[in-house]
Amino acid sequence: MAAAVAAAFGPGLCPAGPLESRVLAYTLHRWSSFSSTYLPENILVDKPNDQSSRWSSESNYPPQYLILKLERPAIVQSITFGKYEKTHVCNLKKFKVFGGMNEENMTDLLSSGLKNDYNKETFTLKHKIDEQMFPCRFIKIVPLLSWGPSFNFSIWYVELNGIDDPDVVQPCLNWYSKYREQEAIRLCLKHFRQHNYTEAFESLQKKTRIALEHPMLTDLHDKLVLKGDFNACEELIEKAVNDGLFNQYISQQEYKPRWGQIIPKSTKGDGEDSRPGMRGGHQMVIDVQTETVYLFGGWDGTQDLADFWAYSVKENQWTYLSRDTEKENGPSARSCHKMCIDIQRRQIYTLGRYLDSSVRNSKSLKSDFYRYDIDTNTWMLLSEDTAADGGPKLVFDHQMCMDSEKHMIYTFGGRILTCNGSVDDSRASEPQFSGLFAFDCRCRTWKLLREDSCNAGPEDIQSRIGHCMLFHSRNRCLYVFGGQRSKTYLNDFFSYDVDSDHMDIISDGTKKDSGMVPMTGFTQRATIDPELNEIHVLSGLSKDKEKREENVRNSFWIYDIVRNSWSCVYKNDQAAKENASKSLQEEEPCPRFAHQLVYDELHKVHYLFGGNPGKSCSPKMRLDDFWSLKLCRPSKEYLLRHCKYLIRKHRFEEKAQTDPLSALKYLQNDLFVTVDHSDPEETKELRLVPSAFKKHSPPFSPLPGFSDVDHIYAQRTQLFDTLVNFFPDNMTPPKGNLVDLITL
Amino acid sequence: MSTSSCSFADRCVSILCCRFCQQVLSSRGMKAVLLADTETDLYSTDIPPTSTVDFIGNCYFTDICKCKLKNIACLKCGNVVGYHVIAPCKPCLLSCNNGHFWMFHSQAVFGINRLDSSGTKFLLWGNLPDSEESTDEDISDISEDEYIR
Repeated sequence: MAAAVAAAFGPGLCPAGPLESRVLAYTLHRWSSFSSTYLPENILVDKPNDQSSRWSSESNYPPQYLILKLERPAIVQSITFGKYEKTHVCNLKKFKVFGGMNEENMTDLLSSGLKNDYNKETFTLKHKIDEQMFPCRFIKIVPLLSWGPSFNFSIWYVELNGIDDPDVVQPCLNWYSKYREQEAIRLCLKHFRQHNYTEAFESLQKKTRIALEHPMLTDLHDKLVLKGDFNACEELIEKAVNDGLFNQYISQQEYKPRWGQIIPKSTKGDGEDSRPGMRGGHQMVIDVQTETVYLFGGWDGTQDLADFWAYSVKENQWTYLSRDTEKENGPSARSCHKMCIDIQRRQIYTLGRYLDSSVRNSKSLKSDFYRYDIDTNTWMLLSEDTAADGGPKLVFDHQMCMDSEKHMIYTFGGRILTCNGSVDDSRASEPQFSGLFAFDCRCRTWKLLREDSCNAGPEDIQSRIGHCMLFHSRNRCLYVFGGQRSKTYLNDFFSYDVDSDHMDIISDGTKKDSGMVPMTGFTQRATIDPELNEIHVLSGLSKDKEKREENVRNSFWIYDIVRNSWSCVYKNDQAAKENASKSLQEEEPCPRFAHQLVYDELHKVHYLFGGNPGKSCSPKMRLDDFWSLKLCRPSKEYLLRHCKYLIRKHRFEEKAQTDPLSALKYLQNDLFVTVDHSDPEETKELRLVPSAFKKHSPPFSPLPGFSDVDHIYAQRTQLFDTLVNFFPDNMTPPKGNLVDLITL
Repeated sequence: MSTSSCSFADRCVSILCCRFCQQVLSSRGMKAVLLADTETDLYSTDIPPTSTVDFIGNCYFTDICKCKLKNIACLKCGNVVGYHVIAPCKPCLLSCNNGHFWMFHSQAVFGINRLDSSGTKFLLWGNLPDSEESTDEDISDISEDEYIR
């Protein structure tokens, strides 16, 4: 009863207040060009059925832009683009939006792209700095790419939404002015201190009471730069590290991949029986509880395989589970099938396979479906033909994910194998792709969730092969990206909520920030870490022979699900590889396709096995190497040691100028212990340190400029700036320098 | 069907302009009818108008014949103005045709008849020099590369 009353009164408690977003009035202020009758003012009206109701640029040569002037300053929260009722090549595939209080000084508010369809699209604009809203008077829209690269840019309709109530905007405007003033003063303070204008620094600080930095850093500056008390500096840094102040820095550092080749133990010599042989197109799954990798089937270059293996990480040993699963009522020899594991019930499922066109007939084209029980070591045929049960037809290069919690399997995509003989119409030979299916393991029933479609509607999905699909066990979404359809490589990325049957487009693939997202067309292998909210992608060799010669070979990418951002952990280029010695070749797996990658999210280790190195000179060659991959970030201990090294190196350099003998002693003892002597780069750097002895520059040479800052003061300031970088942003002085604002 | 005469020499040469943005699309237009549907009015040209139009979308087939087509749009305004016959079908090739593979819809373009050197008579196709260019089509084999294992 109480709930009903609250609900009834709920909306009334929040009347449409000044914080409510509304449509903002604007005029067209300036523009780069327009053609024919496609005037800039046309974007003020939304007439999707009139092809002439749009702004169109005179050329697509940059810069092209429109500058809108708001009736009055406002917090601009979103921008909506209207479109023509049909697709149009002049739609903006890629654009940027800037905003500011004047035309000269604008902030980047949005980088995005429009779909080439008839649906209106709304984008949130950046409108806060440090959780504080800031106002704009001008909005600049900069088209970068149209859907037809040779065509001009058109914008059909633009609506801006936000808050323009002066009661809200005026305080933001005041805050914004104050914020700018404060940052300007902090830049001055930093500049004054760097150049030792002590009186100016003190008087400005006294007058404004603006803090340049956290008191702890002022203390560090005092000890390091003014007093040169290096021991106290080390203590301060040690305390900061122990208090977790470097954690933010660590979390922002990129992972470094650490590959290790696994040489399994063998009991019977290096015989055939001790480990799986060369293959590509095999399948692997991992049981993270027992740390066991299961491997089944594949193609050894001449034939399909039916051997079944288990690798124990703890024992570092492969065990033959079966030489031929078919003889044990299991699946026949196969490749390009898919496997998934139910860790709760300790069962493995396999579906699909590739068949050479010569052996395809109505009998062989049945899609059998097997389940293996780990504890009883037995196979069970779940279905002779899943298509007959309302499931997928025989497919290869599909994807399959297990949802242990709800005891469901999801399979998506893959190319449907067909008999070549029965083609009468040339158009029917176009490849067919399998949709998204769900298999209820308990009831053993299939359900078609999405048919293959061309992304026509918002809930439609386009089927494909060679893509990645991962199940996030916590937010219960499938993540799908990449793959290809015939010759087209797909760039889109979407999630599918299995409980609500709803799909969300994360990226439609129009943002062609090359180098910023993993390249498609490369045989990527992906894994997911639900705990860290990360998707990992190892991108290998292109299946496309022509692209194979391109420089970039192996690359490893991480997608941060929460931040919605990709980062490249590493790339290796071909040139570096060709020059490298053989020993370097064994530091990481050579680029390949048709390999397998599994991830143990509990122990944070990837395992990679085999694949096709794509050597055109030996087309039947397949690999049998086995690798582990760990992704590492610098540790607290490493950072502390590194900071100590930096401080002691500087201390040595100061000593070297005045007291070479004690400096040498210092180098051999105190500095020496801060170096990891197993790291070739660190030891190499240490060897360069004594060059401080050879410096002929006078020790107290004044810096160019007007201040009386000596060399030591400048060097210490530089070290201070380096150390400050490890602290969180809200503690540090501004990153920029006043002098950098001077342009010539 | 107006297949009584298979000569096009007495047809007027038109300048074709985009109805949406007035851009000149071709100076060698011919008023024509569709072989498969003589009710449909259109213009055609022989030399690829690559500097004024570009392809958009995917290839398609119509219901009336098996020619493989692809739409073309005016480079200035981006509107669809016609289509290019990528691969003509056999019936169309065998019937009386003007050899033009670039078509413009009469709803999307208008034609202005050109005058000959005298400045008094319409310029006729019979008096136009032949095009020396040939459309070299890249109909690459779309066989699937099944390189998967």
